[in-house]
Amino acid sequence: MEYQTIRYGEPFQIRRRLGNLFKDIVRIKGVEYERGKGFIVRDYYALTNLNKILIRMGLILTPMVKCVICDKNIECEKCSFTDVCLKDVTTCLCDECLYSDDVVEKYLSTSRGYFEDFRRSI
Amino acid sequence: MNWTEKYRPKTISEVIGNELSKKRLVEWLNNWRFSKKLGALLIGPPGIGKTATVYALASDFGYHVIELNASDYRTANKIIEKVGFIAYENTLESYISGKTKKVLIFFDEIDGIDPKEDRGGLDAVIKISSKKAVPVIASANFIDPIKHKILLDNFEVIEFRKLTPKQIYIIIKRISELEKLDLDDDTLIEISRRSMGDARLAINILYTVHVGGDINVILNPFENMPIDVLLRRISSLSNQQEIKTLLDSNSNHWEDVLYIYFDIITRSPVIKPDRRANLLEHISILDMINGMIKRNRAYFLMKYFSAILSWIVYQSNRWGAVYDGRIPEYRLYTYVLNKDIRVELEELLNKYGNRLHESKRKFFFESLLVAVLSNPKYENLLNWTLKIYGLDDKLKVVKKYGVSND
Repeated sequence: MEYQTIRYGEPFQIRRRLGNLFKDIVRIKGVEYERGKGFIVRDYYALTNLNKILIRMGLILTPMVKCVICDKNIECEKCSFTDVCLKDVTTCLCDECLYSDDVVEKYLSTSRGYFEDFRRSI
Repeated sequence: MNWTEKYRPKTISEVIGNELSKKRLVEWLNNWRFSKKLGALLIGPPGIGKTATVYALASDFGYHVIELNASDYRTANKIIEKVGFIAYENTLESYISGKTKKVLIFFDEIDGIDPKEDRGGLDAVIKISSKKAVPVIASANFIDPIKHKILLDNFEVIEFRKLTPKQIYIIIKRISELEKLDLDDDTLIEISRRSMGDARLAINILYTVHVGGDINVILNPFENMPIDVLLRRISSLSNQQEIKTLLDSNSNHWEDVLYIYFDIITRSPVIKPDRRANLLEHISILDMINGMIKRNRAYFLMKYFSAILSWIVYQSNRWGAVYDGRIPEYRLYTYVLNKDIRVELEELLNKYGNRLHESKRKFFFESLLVAVLSNPKYENLLNWTLKIYGLDDKLKVVKKYGVSND
């Protein structure tokens, strides 16, 4: 079984010849295909459905979400909250950032910076 | 003061979670006058920051919010009475001359307005929004694609999702720091685990714990889940016992789960025909058990219902037919697909009833009886029945006009 890491909301190519399965994949809610770029998975549940198809070809896509503070990849399946989390997000927090002392201030300043940049751009 | 009010975010950057949705809302508000859509519609479960986002955004952009809750203002008259004047005062002319009032209209819980019972309520919302005098934002927990089609067509739909336990942790840690609470990290983590993505619930649990409540008796996070959350969770599980435990904690949704899985199994492209037949056979058994429970109040059958339902979900997941996130499927099945069949049947009965000069009801039952008994298997029974009821002619009529044996 081969594992391929992907990030939600970012395009990627599937390392398999899909043939007729292409139609089934693009029919999944939350999975899009952009010509020239590849597939984009919007949420965790779309990925679960996608993996149900890809597993037959020996491929499993492993989801990663982005840490809001340090931009590091976080693997949902290895998170300590995986049993109670709905995983319906594109951004979260890594364990190092979460358990640091000034996590609230870091989170708010990142968010503040992000929205100020965004407001300036529009 | 209630902590959910006291620590309501003041600016958009203080709202934790749903980053993409917030960004889309800011983009929309920046360009609302030139947007093709009449307003923004925020959809998501309760307690995840929809209302907080609207107030924070209004504060950031300098808007004054006029809030209407659908539980108070439901009819067209009341809505227009409350906010109609703003729509007529702030015209394009006043916008160009710079004399507009910076007001934002917010319809909270708009899904509470029923298009049939609250006549004109939704039309009034559309009418006010179409003036484009002030930005209009609405929020809803669950939108029915049929009932609220007018909203989905005219409003920019922005989906808000449940928060992760880590995001909840940030919210309650911030409150705990500001209130200088003497709570350790383990308690905060336990609260964020139990809140199931609901920030309001987490804050209320935090308050309860702060005033001396025991966290262990507050609630079981897996009980009484919303139907979409339950479906997503059971379709991602691969252990039958876990599925059964989850279903047992949410017995109010058993019937919904049954119908939705019937729908999923029927139209899944990946499941093999023999497996599909097997699952559908079990679903039909379950439907009978459900009927018995309801009709005869045979509640002792519920344990069998739960066991078979969990088996169906487990096998269905294993064979690739999983819930794909379309919330109102069973509604579509009940209201739309059956509606087509009903309309077709109505037309058929009208046609035959008129030709035979009989009431629709009488013709329906007689033709149904003949159609069922026309099966060669029941030939003797058919002859006997026809003789008794004098329906020999009806058989010819049914065959002539093409009602099949099915």
